[in-house]
Amino acid sequence: MVVLRSKITNNFLNNNSKHIFLVGCILTSFGILLVTVGGSWDITNHLLSKPDTFFSSPHAMMYLGVTISLVGVIVSFLSWRRLQNFKNLYFSSLKNSLVGIALLSGAGPFDYIWHSNFGLDGLLSPPHLTLIAGMFFCAIGGMIGISRFLTINHLKNHFRYLLILAIIPVWLSGSGIISSLSLPFSDTDYFQFNPDPTFAFIAATLGFPFLISMSALLVFRLSDFKFGMISILGGLFLLIYSSTAIIPNFALIDSVMFYSLNLIPFIIADIILFFDKTRKSLIFVGSLLGSIFYMTYYPYVMYTFNEILLGKMVSPSLIYFVYFEMIDDVLMLTAIPAIIMGILAVFVSERVSKRIFGFNVSGLNSC
Amino acid sequence: MNTHVKKLFVITLIGFSLTVYFGLTVFILPEQYMSHEKLVSQPHFEVEISDREISLGESFRLDITTENSGEYGDIHILSTAFPTLIEIGNVVKIITYDFTQPPANTMSGDEMIAKYSGGLEHIVAKYSSIEAMSRPIYPGSTYHLSQVITPEKSGNFSIYIKSVNIPHTSDLSHYPQTGILDHQEEYVQVYSVNVNP
Repeated sequence: MVVLRSKITNNFLNNNSKHIFLVGCILTSFGILLVTVGGSWDITNHLLSKPDTFFSSPHAMMYLGVTISLVGVIVSFLSWRRLQNFKNLYFSSLKNSLVGIALLSGAGPFDYIWHSNFGLDGLLSPPHLTLIAGMFFCAIGGMIGISRFLTINHLKNHFRYLLILAIIPVWLSGSGIISSLSLPFSDTDYFQFNPDPTFAFIAATLGFPFLISMSALLVFRLSDFKFGMISILGGLFLLIYSSTAIIPNFALIDSVMFYSLNLIPFIIADIILFFDKTRKSLIFVGSLLGSIFYMTYYPYVMYTFNEILLGKMVSPSLIYFVYFEMIDDVLMLTAIPAIIMGILAVFVSERVSKRIFGFNVSGLNSC
Repeated sequence: MNTHVKKLFVITLIGFSLTVYFGLTVFILPEQYMSHEKLVSQPHFEVEISDREISLGESFRLDITTENSGEYGDIHILSTAFPTLIEIGNVVKIITYDFTQPPANTMSGDEMIAKYSGGLEHIVAKYSSIEAMSRPIYPGSTYHLSQVITPEKSGNFSIYIKSVNIPHTSDLSHYPQTGILDHQEEYVQVYSVNVNP
């Protein structure tokens, strides 16, 4: 009886291993989404309330996300071993997830030890860098796994929306890396890890536009150019950012209207690419999405540019006064490099999507 | 609708949308937000001292209730300073507090923010103090700090009390607004207890 049950289980696992692998990738991406949302909430919590303990709600959300990702990677690993076909195609997904989860799992105790020894740490610290790198690798692993599964199995229609879940954690964790290298939130009593203001200026000016354009164009390409994907992805990013960085700050609530206008460029990008998928249009969309980075990364991007342009002490309730004071200067200084990075993302997203698919998928009229 | 008209319609729609977007986010809304009045939080406190005269070796209790009687603010600081103490030691003990941050001691020689500058100007402390802090602070919120003080010398035991809110946007952002200036060049209310030998 036991042997029979074991045989049935084995048969089930062997027959469904690729679906179980997909579930693992979805869990991995969803876990990382929770970690990134918790991370953004944690920055706001530190800025507003300055918690003096490791045990806070944003940290709980982050480590719940790590746990879900850990389960996801274990499921992926176990099912990958039973994959009969396509084992090699899913290996890069698994490899990234394993590296990521190793870093993430190590970051938790490392962070706790760091807090215990050095008190409150800043945004950029060895445990936080480990955590963010782990998030990024896991998000990449989840994205590759989900995208390849959809391609190999020719799944379209509503399954394509899984790509939103696959790409948003990559975008958010990439934003986390750029933020920690550019925001001046890392000086503590023990360590001064604030990035050099000029380096921070350059990192934000080049990194954020690239990320916006790259994420939007990647979801567009991976979804086989489906209309609406860029708007949904952009809208979700704006929703997450506004609910973790703007709404918790009482003094910024009336700027939600300003922030929600950022949905317009994403919708425009979708409309342009719906009517015309030529390289010219892709380049226009890339440059448009790159050029809106200062608005999309409101409010905290202000701190980076304030270091160089104004050097003011900015209390959290005065953020938008300083943000809007600088908006003309920032756009004048950053417009050209931001547009160039947005355009660069057009070409990089093409290469990345080809690598994810494992074959040429451009299929565009004149790409 | 032929292709040419459709294309023209889409280009017009996109051009109009982009004009609205950049017009609003770069030119119109920034002006509007900049013209908003900055929120002004306003601290105030009440002090109760259990005894105005004690014998050396005895203790007295200092209860302070602070309030934000203004608008939303980021940080509310209550400072209790002791101009005759180099360090707090066992002289002052905190009995209860409900501030969101644990009170912190500073002693003579520590670097401190001065002149309500929010960190732009600093001084070296000449005496010790205890700072309790809450962040953020909503209108009408109140906090309490109770201390038991056991002076180690006879004579007049002075206490400087002040409250500062951040952002410090005007004279309303600190209490008291007049009186004696302390080592940080900020106004304080002075209380004293006579300690008999």
